[in-house]
Amino acid sequence: MNDFDVCIVGSGAGGGPVALSLSQAGYNVLVLEKGPWFTEADYFKDEMACCRKSVYTPKLSDEQHVLEDYNGSDGKGGYKWKATPTSESGQDFWNGNCVGGSSNFMSGFFYRLKPDDFRLLTVFGPIKGANIQDWPISYEDLEPYYTLVEKEVGVSGRVKAHPFSEPRSSKDFPYPSTVEHPVSARIDSACRQLGYHSLPTPRAVLPHAINGRQGCAYSGFCGSYGCSTGAKGSSRAALLNRAVATGKCKILAHAKVNRLVADKQGKLVGVEYIDQQGKVINVSAKIYVLACQAIETSRLLLLSKSEKFPQGLANNNGQVGKNLVFSAGGSGYGDFTYAGLAKTEKALLKTRGPFINRGLQDWYFINDKKFGGRVKGGTIDFLLRHPNTMTRANEYKRDDNDKLIWGSALKKTLHDGMTASQTLNYEVFCDWLPTDDCFVSLDTKVKDKWGMPVAKVRLGYHDHDLRVGEYLSEKAKKVLAQMGAKNISGTVSGSPPPNLVAGGCRFGNDPAATVLDKDCRAHEVKNLFISDGSFMPTGGSVPYTWTIYANAFRVADKIKQQLGKAV
Amino acid sequence: MSRLDNWNASISRDLLDHLQQKLSRRHFLGGMLKAGAIACVTPSLVFSATISKTQKEPWLTILIVQDHLFPDDGNGPSARDINSLSYLQSILTLDDVDKKERQFIYQGVGWLNDLARETHGHLFVSLKASQREKLLHKISSSTAGENWLSILLYYIFEALLVDPVYGGNPEGVGWTWLEHQPGFPHPVVGKRYYEL
Repeated sequence: MNDFDVCIVGSGAGGGPVALSLSQAGYNVLVLEKGPWFTEADYFKDEMACCRKSVYTPKLSDEQHVLEDYNGSDGKGGYKWKATPTSESGQDFWNGNCVGGSSNFMSGFFYRLKPDDFRLLTVFGPIKGANIQDWPISYEDLEPYYTLVEKEVGVSGRVKAHPFSEPRSSKDFPYPSTVEHPVSARIDSACRQLGYHSLPTPRAVLPHAINGRQGCAYSGFCGSYGCSTGAKGSSRAALLNRAVATGKCKILAHAKVNRLVADKQGKLVGVEYIDQQGKVINVSAKIYVLACQAIETSRLLLLSKSEKFPQGLANNNGQVGKNLVFSAGGSGYGDFTYAGLAKTEKALLKTRGPFINRGLQDWYFINDKKFGGRVKGGTIDFLLRHPNTMTRANEYKRDDNDKLIWGSALKKTLHDGMTASQTLNYEVFCDWLPTDDCFVSLDTKVKDKWGMPVAKVRLGYHDHDLRVGEYLSEKAKKVLAQMGAKNISGTVSGSPPPNLVAGGCRFGNDPAATVLDKDCRAHEVKNLFISDGSFMPTGGSVPYTWTIYANAFRVADKIKQQLGKAV
Repeated sequence: MSRLDNWNASISRDLLDHLQQKLSRRHFLGGMLKAGAIACVTPSLVFSATISKTQKEPWLTILIVQDHLFPDDGNGPSARDINSLSYLQSILTLDDVDKKERQFIYQGVGWLNDLARETHGHLFVSLKASQREKLLHKISSSTAGENWLSILLYYIFEALLVDPVYGGNPEGVGWTWLEHQPGFPHPVVGKRYYEL
């Protein structure tokens, strides 16, 4: 007799849809979450809590990663790699360890993938050095779930015709766009002049109250911050609260899973976790779902060794942790100075609260001689400079020669710099090609506070990603220049954004080359599903969250089928 | 999710630098003392039961250094206006502050006073303002000395821009000066980051 029908490890965008869908269907669901359970009452616009202290993520001295960076050529056609624990470097690779996971702290830029994202290999062909693979499902398979997410999570926006628009089964978004910033119209105008097609960015932010959640309060502090109204479509606010309300879903916070236990036949028979008091507890379920975010999901599989799986659970083909992807691209900015502006103009430019909500997908597919033919491009999104002030203030304490300044000189520089202009940022999102140089393994030396090996992540990238990123970045700069921005600058690099991570357990039809089947069920373990972003063989050229949500709802339907009840 | 979220969440380069580097008294003084001088100079932490907490070392020296770093010059609030000393005192009592960082701040005071006594025969706070300023420039030419000043600035900026519930930035004086519109709701007592 199992304790639960379904046990889900992790409560973010991959776990929430499964918990809600299955509990609404009447199944007994347990969600194990390593972090604490914060609610709206705990979220304030507090730069200290949000960004300067380890409140929503572990202390690196307790739990960390080991990151492997490129360290020159090995002289044999390959590379050397330098491994550094993040407790030494300070490069925090956590994204939100609490109920709802990192979806609590997202900006909620929600874009769907496009049909060709599901068949990159077929449409664009192979790229040397990249492990590109078509998805085993099509856009049409996922489209109903994208639509479901619009309603269940709450996606606001408006549909605007575009040369690269993906098909939709519904005419428009279920919620109207959030209020837009005065700068948005200037972006539209500049794009029109350049012949570009600016798009309203869909947001996982409610413009008004529904389902016990309040609408956006337009504080102007969204990305990196927990939402104090519930308007942001976090897994916690949008899905888990409702799952718990069914009476069929139990969430255990501060429950750190050590390993999944398989019997000699390779069937999962339990999960071992440690509670806040340090007590080791075992629970069982008919079906187990991993949704710990890509890196930790691979790590947990690698830690779960057994007689049947000596290299880690579902890893007899050595695929777990392989083909990790991030979002390639970069970011940049331009300044709009207040000097010479009328008081009302300055006030409009300084407005805080409404969203920019503008993106460009004119180069989602690039047809340019520079690339020798049609290639996959990406997305540009615009946003105001992050409102955090302390990090920004620290940028003014050094002069052009990187020497520390202080006293009246510092105060003048600080005041002039902080009050002179509004800054419009842009971000570029493009495919991070999967390669043999980007993967998760277990570190052999560094352990977490429970004595378990931490994840070691090799962070290699493909040079093609940089070329595409630069191409898009130059387009974004043109928009800023057309708008009259000053100090325009941008950076594209192979440095990965840890909050935009997927892969490691990709799905496919070949058990020898993939971890999961097309239903996101482990090829080797029939009662194990993975519902976070680990399944993605390629990531598309947009932030991942909408696709993770949509696929997790799809996986929930597959689990229902396996459990024997009609969908 | 925004690509910039993590960048904005990253901590100061200076904090990382000083934790990564092997910091020593010799690095701090940058070879400014004569060989053998270090051994004969006693660490200059002065404690007295008769004076207030802010007048005790290492706080008295830090108070005066903060006056130099963020002075009362008619351009916005000074270090004293934003409670930068009491803010630093309260922050350094919290468990989440790295022990090495706390120790480094205190050690820097001792080293600065060693240098003041070596070069002028007096503690740092007893020197003329121009002499103190020269000494600060001198230590800033060393890696550790610059890091020490940088960390003090890091906490001055926190005191300038933190929510007033933490004790700095009284009545939002720093926000007003830098024309910053804070978000809402503000953190409250019982829900400060170390109370969550």
